[in-house]
Amino acid sequence: MTQVLRINGVEREFPGEALPETLSDLLNALEICHATVVAEIDGRIVERKDFVATRLTAGQAIELVRFVGGG
Amino acid sequence: MDRLKIADREFISRLFIGTGKYASNAVMSQAIAASGTEMVTVALRRVDIENENDDLLAAIDRNKYLLLPNTSGARDAQEAIRLARLARAASGIAWVKLEVTPDPYYLLPDGTETLKAAEVLAKEGFVVLPYINADPILAKRLQDVGTATVMPLASPIGSNQGLKTRAAIEIIIEQATVPVVVDAGLGLPSHAAEAMEMGADAVLVNTAIAAAQDPVMMAAAFARATEAGRLAYLAGPAGASRQATASSPLTGFLRGS
Repeated sequence: MTQVLRINGVEREFPGEALPETLSDLLNALEICHATVVAEIDGRIVERKDFVATRLTAGQAIELVRFVGGG
Repeated sequence: MDRLKIADREFISRLFIGTGKYASNAVMSQAIAASGTEMVTVALRRVDIENENDDLLAAIDRNKYLLLPNTSGARDAQEAIRLARLARAASGIAWVKLEVTPDPYYLLPDGTETLKAAEVLAKEGFVVLPYINADPILAKRLQDVGTATVMPLASPIGSNQGLKTRAAIEIIIEQATVPVVVDAGLGLPSHAAEAMEMGADAVLVNTAIAAAQDPVMMAAAFARATEAGRLAYLAGPAGASRQATASSPLTGFLRGS
């Protein structure tokens, strides 16, 4: 069965058992450095220290944001 | 020593720098260093998952420069509050440049939504630096709900038009009990000097430096202009008059008998 996460507004499919277990696993799978990112899952902020302990479930909307140049 | 105090922080430099629009992080780092600033603004955006780009924060020494995350992109109070909370989680500090700009053409700030967001964020313990139109009444309302500064615009963001709102900013400076930071539209060092001569507490500059042919040199120019304007303000400018008043003595001329 295919499972879906909505990441930064785009649906991503994870076939079979491939859904990352935790937020930390997801970042690793996407090759995104933990240290510079902050996340929001279904509108709730997840602090960096909680990435490893935050379990994911299919259907969640995940926002991954970071600082960029701005005025 | 002349220092600027915002919330619990003291600043020697009265020039704050935006980090947008630089050709590279390396040029940005050098421009920040040349400006002598102690606070730089940053924006919060979605990670580009397909294109892992380089990390802005690696180019900013956070022991030297306080990060001031902005809420750019927010179109109403709710979006601004959400961005501010995310920025706090990302930066670990609760300073925020509050900006709510629903109009995409002139990027003018929405005062009503800014005030709403400021009230919520100040109650949550944020140090709120709101970007506003040069509206003295709004400035008062914001300081009443606990903002750490007010930041009236000189002219539209990135327009480099200079102090188009001078008369209104003078009133804000006269009445404000929190520091007044002139933000947006300062296009030349002389504009920054003018704002500081008027008694602004600080200026915030991005495009004028980042888009200059030599951003590092322009950053140095803004640093000197900001300092010169501040010194002139503290020195107490001599008054202007319509008629000439001689600088040299009016006696002892070499003429007549």
